[in-house]
Amino acid sequence: MESIKLRKITSVWILAVFVLFIVSIILGILMRLNQGGVINQNPVTFYANMTTHGLTMIGIWFVAGMAAINYLMERYVKTSYTVNLIALVLTVIGVLMFWVSTFIGKFHAAWTFLYPLPFKLLGAESWSTLLFLLALTIFGIGWLIWSVSLMTQILRKYSISQAFAWQHFKKNPSVDTPPFILISMITLIGVIASLLAAVVLLALLFAEYFSNGSFVNDALLMKNLTYFFGHTIANEMLYLGLAVIYELFSEVSGRPKWKTTWYVALAWNCTLVFILTAFFHHLYMDFVQPEGFQIIGQMASYLASLPAAGVTVFSVLIAVYRTKMKWTLTNLLFFIGVAGWVIGGLGAVIDATISNNVVLHNTLWVPAHFHTYNAMGNVLFSIGFFYWFSTQFAENIKPERFTKWTLATLLIGGAGFLLAFYYGGADSIPRRYSVYPAELSIGAPWAVVGAIFATVYLIAILVFFYNISKRCLKILSSPS
Amino acid sequence: MHQNSILLLFLALAVIAVIVFTYVYLSSKNAEQSEQGMAQPLKKRFWFLLILFVILAIFASVTIPKSPYFLFADETPAKIVHVSSMQFAFFLSEHAIDPKNPSGEPIELPVNELVEFRVTSLDVNHGFAIYDGSNRLITQTQAMPGYVNRLRYKFTEPGTYNILCLEYCGMAHQIMRSSFIVK
Ligand code: HEM
Ligand SMILES: [Cu+2]
Repeated sequence: MESIKLRKITSVWILAVFVLFIVSIILGILMRLNQGGVINQNPVTFYANMTTHGLTMIGIWFVAGMAAINYLMERYVKTSYTVNLIALVLTVIGVLMFWVSTFIGKFHAAWTFLYPLPFKLLGAESWSTLLFLLALTIFGIGWLIWSVSLMTQILRKYSISQAFAWQHFKKNPSVDTPPFILISMITLIGVIASLLAAVVLLALLFAEYFSNGSFVNDALLMKNLTYFFGHTIANEMLYLGLAVIYELFSEVSGRPKWKTTWYVALAWNCTLVFILTAFFHHLYMDFVQPEGFQIIGQMASYLASLPAAGVTVFSVLIAVYRTKMKWTLTNLLFFIGVAGWVIGGLGAVIDATISNNVVLHNTLWVPAHFHTYNAMGNVLFSIGFFYWFSTQFAENIKPERFTKWTLATLLIGGAGFLLAFYYGGADSIPRRYSVYPAELSIGAPWAVVGAIFATVYLIAILVFFYNISKRCLKILSSPS
Repeated sequence: MHQNSILLLFLALAVIAVIVFTYVYLSSKNAEQSEQGMAQPLKKRFWFLLILFVILAIFASVTIPKSPYFLFADETPAKIVHVSSMQFAFFLSEHAIDPKNPSGEPIELPVNELVEFRVTSLDVNHGFAIYDGSNRLITQTQAMPGYVNRLRYKFTEPGTYNILCLEYCGMAHQIMRSSFIVK
């Protein structure tokens, strides 16, 4: 089945993700300290760090999900080691270019690089924009190849209708599509759609960059493209984590494997549609956007919660409710992560309501809810996988003595860090402000609270890093 | 909804979620080997989905009509304010603003009458967000180059209102601001 090479490259992915995660958390804590008035960074430095933090986080949790599904997919279909390696090499090159553009070139247009800001940056080196766009191009190529390759491998074994599990709409289907394959398929389509939007976006940006003013883009179109890309990739990376949960939750709990049923098939087919149209909620405050899109945005955002809550979350709850099972760090992290995903989702649905969005848009409510389902959701899905993976090949693993305390630290740190964002959002504190204006000085103490709790969260992450990475290093040094 | 009610609603829902997950976790921890899990899960799933759907449908039908696009849509504004934004300033004027040579003037608006802000940008995207006397965000729209967003509002309280930029626009985004008076 899976080769030692795959085992090793997955270990490299895990180590890389952890190291970049820790650096990015530190940048995040520095941001909150600056907003709290504890330290005093130059605004350009603050915003360059914000850009590094945002895009690094999105990138690492995306590749973490991809590496996880690549590893597990080998149970069903053959995957390409070469493509996995190409993706790794291009990701590393991309990160280096990107970090040079922000840390040295002071590129600071935020991770969404909303047009035309990358062309109108003051206080950045003039070459930094081009380098940033090239870094994105490198990521785009590597990730497109990877996702297309995984999808192709699925389609070699399963027909299109089987990959979408359509045969499960009929009674007694002759072929079973494993839920893992179904979710991977749906998610990869979303990933590819989002990356293709990024390609178009980059092409338009390059066209303007090299046209010397003779070609100018349309700001509304660019904004739609930006959020189609950004929203979709940020959501799909979470679904990569869900694919892992569908595959592993029952297994690590010592329970029968989950099967695709008609409602699981239906839920994920619907998810594909909703997830590709919900991005409109990022443009609610652009009143020139056609009203129909705005309504679709709210509807799709609401509807997306039905399959998520009614099928995935409900299934996890049913699997656990009054069922004797083996609890390990992996399924505990999955379970807590699903709770975090739900809570972040509640914050998201509230914000995706147009009449609420008027007073929440671009306040700290936005980082509040997306950090909830990332820092307390998706991150836990991935770390759950990392832990499971690292213990696969270790002889006699003794149960980690500190697990309970590490989890408690993670939960307390995460909750406090997030509540500081939510309260700031409810106090109308804007997001992406390096410091807060005098009349909104209430934002500063919240930021200090956020920084303190984020440090607690970081401690828990360091413990996980220590435990998991030492086993991954062992896998790497084992003879091949 | 007022921000405080939004926060309360969220906190209440979050607490419920935490209770449900904790309860389910404990029910597994305390389960006997022989226990069968949830009885009739498909039926319960169906009811859960139906209730969720109804709640969301009610929420949507109550909130969508309150969207800013429909508020005051068929009234005629008593006053029009032109807004041009650029890195890192807002120009407000009762007259059209020349994009080549933008300039603004102090603005005074009538209380309890409909005002329309015609908001655009001369460079990058900005946000045009209005904060009331108690520093609460009351409404906003985006300022986008090449487009004019029309934001309508009726101010019910006299006083000074601040405008902050709520779309990230670069190194001095955090100090980009303006204000007007409602009398
Ligand atoms: C404890 C860990 C973390 C800390 C301390 C932290 C801190 C921060 C802070 C202070 C901001 C700026 C908020 C503002 O707009 O004022 C931010 C933005 C952001 N964070 Fe985090 N964060 C953490 C974890 C994560 C994770 C796990 C993700 C995963 C996706 C993430 C993704 C982002 C993104 C995408 C942005 C937006 C950047 C932008 O505005 O361009 N963060 N974070
Ligand atoms: Cu701004």
